[in-house]
Amino acid sequence: MDLQAFKQQILPIQNRLFRLATMFLRNREDAEDALQDVLMRLWSNRQQLNTYQSVEALAVQMTKNLCLDRLKSHARQKNVDKADLGSVAASQLSPYRQLELADSADRMRQLIDQLPNVQKLVLHLRDVEEYSFEEIEQVTGLSINAIRVALSRARQRLRDGYLKLNDYEADY
Amino acid sequence: MKPTIDQLLARYYEGETTLDEENQLRAYFQHTESIPDHLLPHASLFQYVTSARAGQLSPDFTTRLDQKLVPQPVRAMGRVRQLTTWGMRLAAGVALLLIGFAGGQFYSRQSPDAAESVELATTGHPAGESIRKTLAFDAVAQTSASDRIHAINQSAELDRADREITQLLINTLNFDANVNVRLAACQALVRFEQEEGVREALIQSLRIQKDPNVQLTLIDALVAIKEKRAAADMQRLARNQQVLDIVRLKAEEGAGALSQVARSTS
Repeated sequence: MDLQAFKQQILPIQNRLFRLATMFLRNREDAEDALQDVLMRLWSNRQQLNTYQSVEALAVQMTKNLCLDRLKSHARQKNVDKADLGSVAASQLSPYRQLELADSADRMRQLIDQLPNVQKLVLHLRDVEEYSFEEIEQVTGLSINAIRVALSRARQRLRDGYLKLNDYEADY
Repeated sequence: MKPTIDQLLARYYEGETTLDEENQLRAYFQHTESIPDHLLPHASLFQYVTSARAGQLSPDFTTRLDQKLVPQPVRAMGRVRQLTTWGMRLAAGVALLLIGFAGGQFYSRQSPDAAESVELATTGHPAGESIRKTLAFDAVAQTSASDRIHAINQSAELDRADREITQLLINTLNFDANVNVRLAACQALVRFEQEEGVREALIQSLRIQKDPNVQLTLIDALVAIKEKRAAADMQRLARNQQVLDIVRLKAEEGAGALSQVARSTS
Protein backbone atom coordinates (compact mmCIF):
# COMPACT_ATOMS: atom_id res chain seq x y z
CA MET A 1 0.00 0.00 0.00
CA ASP A 2 1.55 3.24 -0.99
CA LEU A 3 1.04 6.58 0.61
CA GLN A 4 -1.55 7.69 -1.88
CA ALA A 5 -3.80 4.72 -1.25
CA PHE A 6 -3.29 5.05 2.47
CA LYS A 7 -4.28 8.66 2.43
CA GLN A 8 -7.30 7.92 0.34
CA GLN A 9 -8.47 5.60 3.03
CA ILE A 10 -7.54 7.83 5.91
CA LEU A 11 -8.49 11.24 4.64
CA PRO A 12 -12.29 10.77 4.85
CA ILE A 13 -12.14 9.51 8.40
CA GLN A 14 -9.43 11.60 9.96
CA ASN A 15 -11.78 14.36 10.97
CA ARG A 16 -13.97 11.77 12.64
CA LEU A 17 -11.06 10.36 14.50
CA PHE A 18 -10.07 13.82 15.48
CA ARG A 19 -13.50 14.57 16.91
CA LEU A 20 -13.44 11.32 18.78
CA ALA A 21 -10.05 12.13 20.24
CA THR A 22 -11.23 15.61 21.10
CA MET A 23 -14.23 14.15 22.88
CA PHE A 24 -11.97 11.99 25.00
CA LEU A 25 -9.07 14.31 25.54
CA ARG A 26 -10.93 17.63 25.67
CA ASN A 27 -8.06 19.39 24.04
CA ARG A 28 -7.29 20.18 20.43
CA GLU A 29 -3.54 19.79 20.63
CA ASP A 30 -3.71 16.53 22.53
CA ALA A 31 -6.32 15.23 20.11
CA GLU A 32 -4.24 16.05 17.06
CA ASP A 33 -1.25 14.54 18.72
CA ALA A 34 -3.12 11.35 19.48
CA LEU A 35 -4.55 11.21 15.98
CA GLN A 36 -1.12 11.59 14.53
CA ASP A 37 0.04 8.68 16.61
CA VAL A 38 -2.87 6.57 15.45
CA LEU A 39 -2.30 7.35 11.81
CA MET A 40 1.37 6.64 12.11
CA ARG A 41 0.66 3.29 13.70
CA LEU A 42 -1.75 2.52 10.92
CA TRP A 43 0.85 3.51 8.39
CA SER A 44 3.53 1.36 9.90
CA ASN A 45 1.08 -1.55 9.90
CA ARG A 46 -0.10 -0.82 6.40
CA GLN A 47 0.86 -4.28 5.18
CA GLN A 48 -1.74 -5.90 7.42
CA LEU A 49 -4.32 -3.19 6.87
CA ASN A 50 -6.02 -5.05 4.05
CA THR A 51 -6.72 -8.01 6.29
CA TYR A 52 -9.07 -5.93 8.40
CA GLN A 53 -12.69 -5.70 7.44
CA SER A 54 -12.92 -2.00 7.96
CA VAL A 55 -10.00 0.32 8.33
CA GLU A 56 -12.32 2.89 9.82
CA ALA A 57 -13.44 0.57 12.60
CA LEU A 58 -9.86 -0.29 13.30
CA ALA A 59 -8.86 3.34 13.35
CA VAL A 60 -11.69 4.27 15.66
CA GLN A 61 -10.76 1.48 17.99
CA MET A 62 -7.15 2.47 17.98
CA THR A 63 -8.01 6.08 18.61
CA LYS A 64 -10.28 5.18 21.47
CA ASN A 65 -7.68 2.95 23.08
CA LEU A 66 -4.92 5.44 22.63
CA CYS A 67 -7.00 8.24 24.08
CA LEU A 68 -8.00 6.15 27.09
CA ASP A 69 -4.38 5.17 27.60
CA ARG A 70 -3.37 8.78 27.48
CA LEU A 71 -6.11 9.82 29.83
CA LYS A 72 -4.97 7.17 32.24
CA SER A 73 -1.35 8.16 32.16
CA HIS A 74 -2.37 11.78 32.17
CA ALA A 75 -4.52 11.28 35.21
CA ARG A 76 -1.75 9.40 36.90
CA GLN A 77 0.74 12.07 36.04
CA LYS A 78 -1.28 15.05 37.17
CA ASN A 79 -4.73 14.28 38.39
CA VAL A 80 -4.63 17.62 40.15
CA ASP A 81 -5.29 19.39 36.87
CA LYS A 82 -8.44 17.50 36.13
CA ALA A 83 -10.62 20.41 37.16
CA ASP A 84 -8.85 22.60 34.67
CA LEU A 85 -9.36 20.34 31.73
CA GLY A 86 -12.90 21.50 31.05
CA SER A 87 -11.99 25.14 31.06
CA VAL A 88 -8.94 24.46 28.95
CA ALA A 89 -11.08 22.69 26.41
CA ALA A 90 -13.62 25.49 26.52
CA SER A 91 -10.95 28.07 25.83
CA GLN A 92 -10.07 26.22 22.64
CA LEU A 93 -13.30 27.42 21.11
CA SER A 94 -13.74 30.74 19.42
CA PRO A 95 -14.98 33.58 21.65
CA TYR A 96 -18.25 33.68 19.75
CA ARG A 97 -18.88 30.02 20.36
CA GLN A 98 -17.87 30.40 23.94
CA LEU A 99 -20.39 33.15 24.48
CA GLU A 100 -23.13 31.32 22.71
CA LEU A 101 -22.62 28.00 24.34
CA ALA A 102 -20.82 29.01 27.46
CA ASP A 103 -23.41 27.80 29.90
CA SER A 104 -25.12 24.79 28.49
CA ALA A 105 -22.22 23.52 26.40
CA ASP A 106 -19.83 23.67 29.30
CA ARG A 107 -22.20 21.81 31.51
CA MET A 108 -22.91 19.27 28.84
CA ARG A 109 -19.24 18.72 28.30
CA GLN A 110 -18.66 18.17 31.96
CA LEU A 111 -21.50 15.71 32.08
CA ILE A 112 -20.16 13.82 29.11
CA ASP A 113 -16.78 13.75 30.78
CA GLN A 114 -18.33 11.99 33.70
CA LEU A 115 -19.91 9.27 31.60
CA PRO A 116 -18.35 5.80 31.58
CA ASN A 117 -16.06 5.37 28.62
CA VAL A 118 -18.27 2.89 26.81
CA GLN A 119 -21.29 5.17 27.01
CA LYS A 120 -19.17 8.09 25.97
CA LEU A 121 -17.93 6.23 22.94
CA VAL A 122 -21.31 4.90 21.89
CA LEU A 123 -22.96 8.26 22.31
CA HIS A 124 -20.26 9.98 20.34
CA LEU A 125 -20.33 7.47 17.52
CA ARG A 126 -24.06 7.52 17.28
CA ASP A 127 -24.95 11.14 17.83
CA VAL A 128 -21.93 12.98 16.57
CA GLU A 129 -20.73 10.68 13.85
CA GLU A 130 -24.10 9.15 12.98
CA TYR A 131 -22.91 5.58 12.96
CA SER A 132 -25.47 2.88 12.48
CA PHE A 133 -25.76 0.29 15.24
CA GLU A 134 -24.05 -2.20 12.99
CA GLU A 135 -21.10 0.08 12.55
CA ILE A 136 -20.89 0.69 16.25
CA GLU A 137 -21.01 -3.02 16.78
CA GLN A 138 -18.08 -3.40 14.45
CA VAL A 139 -16.06 -0.81 16.29
CA THR A 140 -16.87 -1.68 19.86
CA GLY A 141 -17.52 -5.39 19.60
CA LEU A 142 -20.62 -4.92 21.72
CA SER A 143 -23.92 -6.52 20.78
CA ILE A 144 -26.52 -4.26 19.26
CA ASN A 145 -28.62 -4.65 22.34
CA ALA A 146 -25.81 -3.61 24.62
CA ILE A 147 -25.15 -0.65 22.37
CA ARG A 148 -28.75 0.40 22.58
CA VAL A 149 -28.69 0.13 26.33
CA ALA A 150 -25.47 2.06 26.63
CA LEU A 151 -26.77 4.74 24.32
CA SER A 152 -30.04 5.06 26.13
CA ARG A 153 -28.29 5.23 29.50
CA ALA A 154 -25.89 7.82 28.28
CA ARG A 155 -28.63 10.03 26.91
CA GLN A 156 -30.79 9.71 29.96
CA ARG A 157 -27.88 10.34 32.24
CA LEU A 158 -26.99 13.47 30.38
CA ARG A 159 -30.55 14.67 30.50
CA ASP A 160 -30.92 13.90 34.18
CA GLY A 161 -27.58 15.39 34.99
CA TYR A 162 -28.40 18.49 33.08
CA LEU A 163 -31.78 18.86 34.69
CA LYS A 164 -30.25 18.32 38.09
CA LEU A 165 -27.65 20.97 37.46
CA ASN A 166 -30.31 23.40 36.31
CA ASP A 167 -32.60 22.63 39.22
CA TYR A 168 -29.71 23.03 41.55
CA GLU A 169 -29.06 26.42 40.10
CA ALA A 170 -32.73 27.31 40.05
CA ASP A 171 -32.94 26.45 43.74
CA TYR A 172 -30.24 28.88 44.45
CA MET B 1 -48.76 10.50 11.11
CA LYS B 2 -45.61 12.27 11.90
CA PRO B 3 -44.46 11.63 15.45
CA THR B 4 -44.27 14.65 17.68
CA ILE B 5 -41.07 15.93 19.12
CA ASP B 6 -42.05 14.62 22.51
CA GLN B 7 -42.56 11.15 21.13
CA LEU B 8 -39.32 11.32 19.29
CA LEU B 9 -37.55 12.46 22.43
CA ALA B 10 -38.94 9.60 24.43
CA ARG B 11 -37.71 7.12 21.86
CA TYR B 12 -34.43 8.95 21.63
CA TYR B 13 -33.77 8.47 25.30
CA GLU B 14 -34.59 4.82 24.92
CA GLY B 15 -32.03 4.55 22.17
CA GLU B 16 -34.63 3.53 19.67
CA THR B 17 -34.67 6.39 17.23
CA THR B 18 -33.29 5.98 13.75
CA LEU B 19 -30.55 8.19 12.42
CA ASP B 20 -33.14 10.08 10.41
CA GLU B 21 -35.27 10.79 13.42
CA GLU B 22 -32.27 11.88 15.37
CA ASN B 23 -31.44 14.31 12.61
CA GLN B 24 -34.95 15.69 12.84
CA LEU B 25 -34.50 16.22 16.52
CA ARG B 26 -31.18 17.94 16.06
CA ALA B 27 -32.63 20.18 13.39
CA TYR B 28 -35.52 21.01 15.66
CA PHE B 29 -33.35 21.90 18.61
CA GLN B 30 -31.01 23.95 16.50
CA HIS B 31 -33.33 26.94 16.65
CA THR B 32 -33.44 27.79 20.30
CA GLU B 33 -36.10 30.50 19.94
CA SER B 34 -38.90 28.22 18.79
CA ILE B 35 -38.43 25.60 21.46
CA PRO B 36 -41.09 25.47 24.15
CA ASP B 37 -39.80 25.87 27.68
CA HIS B 38 -40.43 22.33 28.79
CA LEU B 39 -38.22 21.04 26.00
CA LEU B 40 -35.39 23.49 26.54
CA PRO B 41 -33.31 21.25 28.86
CA HIS B 42 -33.07 18.70 26.06
CA ALA B 43 -31.68 21.21 23.60
CA SER B 44 -28.31 21.30 25.23
CA LEU B 45 -27.33 17.76 24.26
CA PHE B 46 -28.34 18.26 20.64
CA GLN B 47 -26.53 21.54 20.49
CA TYR B 48 -23.47 19.92 21.94
CA VAL B 49 -23.65 17.23 19.29
CA THR B 50 -24.03 19.78 16.54
CA SER B 51 -21.07 21.79 17.75
CA ALA B 52 -19.01 18.66 18.26
CA ARG B 53 -19.67 17.73 14.66
CA ALA B 54 -18.13 20.97 13.53
CA GLY B 55 -14.82 19.91 14.98
CA GLN B 56 -12.23 19.94 12.24
CA LEU B 57 -8.58 19.21 12.16
CA SER B 58 -6.29 22.16 11.86
CA PRO B 59 -5.41 22.77 8.22
CA ASP B 60 -1.73 22.07 8.64
CA PHE B 61 -2.35 18.70 10.25
CA THR B 62 -2.15 16.84 6.99
CA THR B 63 1.11 18.41 6.00
CA ARG B 64 2.57 17.70 9.40
CA LEU B 65 1.34 14.15 9.13
CA ASP B 66 2.79 13.81 5.66
CA GLN B 67 6.15 14.81 6.97
CA LYS B 68 5.94 12.08 9.55
CA LEU B 69 4.33 9.48 7.38
CA VAL B 70 6.89 9.54 4.64
CA PRO B 71 9.84 9.06 6.88
CA GLN B 72 11.60 6.55 4.70
CA PRO B 73 11.82 8.37 1.38
CA VAL B 74 11.69 11.91 2.71
CA ARG B 75 14.00 11.31 5.57
CA ALA B 76 16.27 9.23 3.41
CA MET B 77 16.38 12.02 0.89
CA GLY B 78 16.78 14.53 3.64
CA ARG B 79 19.52 12.44 5.12
CA VAL B 80 21.29 12.16 1.80
CA ARG B 81 20.87 15.83 1.21
CA GLN B 82 22.05 16.54 4.69
CA LEU B 83 24.90 14.15 4.18
CA THR B 84 25.94 15.95 1.07
CA THR B 85 25.67 19.29 2.74
CA TRP B 86 27.51 17.88 5.69
CA GLY B 87 29.85 16.25 3.26
CA MET B 88 30.31 19.55 1.53
CA ARG B 89 30.99 21.21 4.84
CA LEU B 90 33.39 18.49 5.80
CA ALA B 91 35.05 18.63 2.43
CA ALA B 92 35.33 22.37 2.68
CA GLY B 93 36.81 22.06 6.14
CA VAL B 94 39.25 19.38 5.07
CA ALA B 95 40.16 21.34 1.97
CA LEU B 96 40.83 24.39 4.10
CA LEU B 97 43.00 22.36 6.43
CA LEU B 98 44.86 20.82 3.50
CA ILE B 99 45.42 24.21 1.94
CA GLY B 100 46.67 25.46 5.25
CA PHE B 101 49.02 22.53 5.66
CA ALA B 102 50.18 22.75 2.06
CA GLY B 103 50.81 26.44 2.47
CA GLY B 104 52.70 25.80 5.66
CA GLN B 105 54.74 23.05 4.03
CA PHE B 106 55.43 25.21 1.02
CA TYR B 107 56.68 28.10 3.08
CA SER B 108 58.62 26.03 5.53
CA ARG B 109 60.28 24.27 2.59
CA GLN B 110 61.11 27.56 0.99
CA SER B 111 62.17 29.44 4.04
CA PRO B 112 64.78 26.88 5.12
CA ASP B 113 66.43 27.40 1.73
CA ALA B 114 66.29 31.11 2.20
CA ALA B 115 67.46 30.76 5.75
CA GLU B 116 70.27 28.52 4.62
CA SER B 117 71.38 30.93 1.96
CA VAL B 118 71.26 33.77 4.44
CA GLU B 119 73.22 31.63 6.84
CA LEU B 120 75.75 30.81 4.17
CA ALA B 121 76.08 34.42 3.30
CA THR B 122 76.45 35.53 6.87
CA THR B 123 78.70 32.69 8.03
CA GLY B 124 80.74 31.85 4.95
CA HIS B 125 81.27 35.28 3.48
CA PRO B 126 79.51 37.64 5.80
CA ALA B 127 77.59 40.27 3.86
CA GLY B 128 80.07 39.82 1.04
CA GLU B 129 77.72 37.68 -0.98
CA SER B 130 74.82 40.07 -0.88
CA ILE B 131 77.07 43.03 -1.54
CA ARG B 132 78.48 41.24 -4.53
CA LYS B 133 75.01 40.34 -5.71
CA THR B 134 73.57 43.79 -5.33
CA LEU B 135 76.45 45.76 -6.64
CA ALA B 136 77.19 43.50 -9.59
CA PHE B 137 77.26 45.55 -12.73
CA ASP B 138 74.48 43.78 -14.48
CA ALA B 139 72.27 43.99 -11.40
CA VAL B 140 72.11 47.76 -11.43
CA ALA B 141 68.98 47.74 -13.49
CA GLN B 142 67.16 45.51 -11.00
CA THR B 143 68.28 47.06 -7.74
CA SER B 144 67.14 50.32 -6.29
CA ALA B 145 69.49 52.99 -4.98
CA SER B 146 68.52 52.21 -1.42
CA ASP B 147 69.25 48.53 -2.04
CA ARG B 148 72.71 49.42 -3.20
CA ILE B 149 73.30 51.81 -0.32
CA HIS B 150 72.15 49.11 2.02
CA ALA B 151 74.52 46.66 0.40
CA ILE B 152 77.36 49.12 0.69
CA ASN B 153 76.58 49.77 4.33
CA GLN B 154 76.68 46.04 4.86
CA SER B 155 80.33 46.18 3.99
CA ALA B 156 80.84 48.00 7.26
CA GLU B 157 80.24 44.66 8.94
CA LEU B 158 83.27 43.23 7.17
CA ASP B 159 86.52 43.40 9.06
CA ARG B 160 88.42 43.27 5.84
CA ALA B 161 87.34 43.22 2.26
CA ASP B 162 88.83 41.17 -0.48
CA ARG B 163 89.91 42.47 -3.79
CA GLU B 164 86.60 41.73 -5.39
CA ILE B 165 84.55 43.79 -2.97
CA THR B 166 86.81 46.78 -3.05
CA GLN B 167 86.74 46.62 -6.83
CA LEU B 168 82.94 46.56 -6.71
CA LEU B 169 82.90 49.51 -4.37
CA ILE B 170 85.32 51.38 -6.60
CA ASN B 171 83.16 50.66 -9.60
CA THR B 172 80.14 51.87 -7.72
CA LEU B 173 81.98 54.99 -6.65
CA ASN B 174 82.99 55.79 -10.18
CA PHE B 175 80.02 54.71 -12.19
CA ASP B 176 76.86 54.53 -10.11
CA ALA B 177 74.14 56.81 -11.40
CA ASN B 178 73.01 57.81 -7.95
CA VAL B 179 75.01 60.39 -6.03
CA ASN B 180 74.05 59.00 -2.66
CA VAL B 181 75.20 55.56 -3.65
CA ARG B 182 78.50 57.00 -4.77
CA LEU B 183 78.85 58.88 -1.49
CA ALA B 184 78.12 55.72 0.44
CA ALA B 185 80.65 53.82 -1.67
CA CYS B 186 83.20 56.53 -1.02
CA GLN B 187 82.69 56.34 2.74
CA ALA B 188 82.84 52.58 2.62
CA LEU B 189 86.09 52.66 0.69
CA VAL B 190 87.67 54.93 3.28
CA ARG B 191 87.28 52.13 5.75
CA PHE B 192 89.26 49.86 3.48
CA GLU B 193 92.05 52.35 2.90
CA GLN B 194 94.68 49.76 3.68
CA GLU B 195 93.46 47.46 0.91
CA GLU B 196 95.58 47.59 -2.16
CA GLY B 197 94.30 49.80 -4.93
CA VAL B 198 91.80 51.63 -2.75
CA ARG B 199 93.92 54.74 -2.29
CA GLU B 200 94.78 54.85 -5.95
CA ALA B 201 91.14 54.40 -6.83
CA LEU B 202 90.16 57.28 -4.59
CA ILE B 203 92.74 59.55 -6.18
CA GLN B 204 91.64 58.50 -9.59
CA SER B 205 88.02 59.00 -8.69
CA LEU B 206 88.77 62.57 -7.66
CA ARG B 207 89.68 63.24 -11.25
CA ILE B 208 86.56 61.62 -12.60
CA GLN B 209 83.86 62.83 -10.24
CA LYS B 210 81.85 65.81 -11.38
CA ASP B 211 79.36 66.00 -8.52
CA PRO B 212 80.44 68.59 -5.94
CA ASN B 213 79.10 66.52 -3.07
CA VAL B 214 81.13 63.51 -4.03
CA GLN B 215 84.13 65.72 -4.73
CA LEU B 216 83.92 67.26 -1.28
CA THR B 217 83.53 63.87 0.36
CA LEU B 218 86.47 62.51 -1.62
CA ILE B 219 88.69 65.43 -0.60
CA ASP B 220 87.70 64.93 3.01
CA ALA B 221 88.36 61.25 2.73
CA LEU B 222 91.76 61.70 1.10
CA VAL B 223 92.80 64.21 3.74
CA ALA B 224 91.56 61.87 6.44
CA ILE B 225 93.63 58.99 5.16
CA LYS B 226 96.53 61.38 4.56
CA GLU B 227 96.95 60.43 0.96
CA LYS B 228 99.80 62.68 -0.08
CA ARG B 229 99.67 61.61 -3.66
CA ALA B 230 96.29 63.28 -3.99
CA ALA B 231 97.71 66.73 -3.34
CA ALA B 232 98.58 67.30 -6.97
CA ASP B 233 95.13 66.33 -8.09
CA MET B 234 93.55 68.57 -5.52
CA GLN B 235 95.61 71.53 -6.67
CA ARG B 236 94.53 70.84 -10.18
CA LEU B 237 90.95 70.73 -8.98
CA ALA B 238 91.42 73.98 -7.13
CA ARG B 239 92.63 75.60 -10.30
CA ASN B 240 89.79 74.20 -12.38
CA GLN B 241 87.41 77.04 -13.18
CA GLN B 242 84.56 74.71 -14.00
CA VAL B 243 84.08 73.30 -10.54
CA LEU B 244 82.19 75.03 -7.80
CA ASP B 245 83.98 77.59 -5.67
CA ILE B 246 83.31 75.67 -2.50
CA VAL B 247 84.89 72.58 -4.03
CA ARG B 248 87.89 74.57 -5.21
CA LEU B 249 88.32 76.06 -1.75
CA LYS B 250 87.97 72.64 -0.19
CA ALA B 251 90.45 71.20 -2.68
CA GLU B 252 92.94 73.93 -1.95
CA GLU B 253 92.51 73.39 1.76
CA GLY B 254 92.92 69.66 1.29
CA ALA B 255 95.97 70.12 -0.86
CA GLY B 256 97.46 72.38 1.77
CA ALA B 257 96.73 69.92 4.51
CA LEU B 258 98.20 67.05 2.54
CA SER B 259 101.35 68.96 1.62
CA GLN B 260 101.71 69.87 5.29
CA VAL B 261 101.43 66.22 6.16
CA ALA B 262 103.99 65.42 3.48
CA ARG B 263 106.31 68.05 4.81
CA SER B 264 105.95 66.97 8.41
CA THR B 265 106.63 63.33 7.58
CA SER B 266 109.57 63.97 5.28
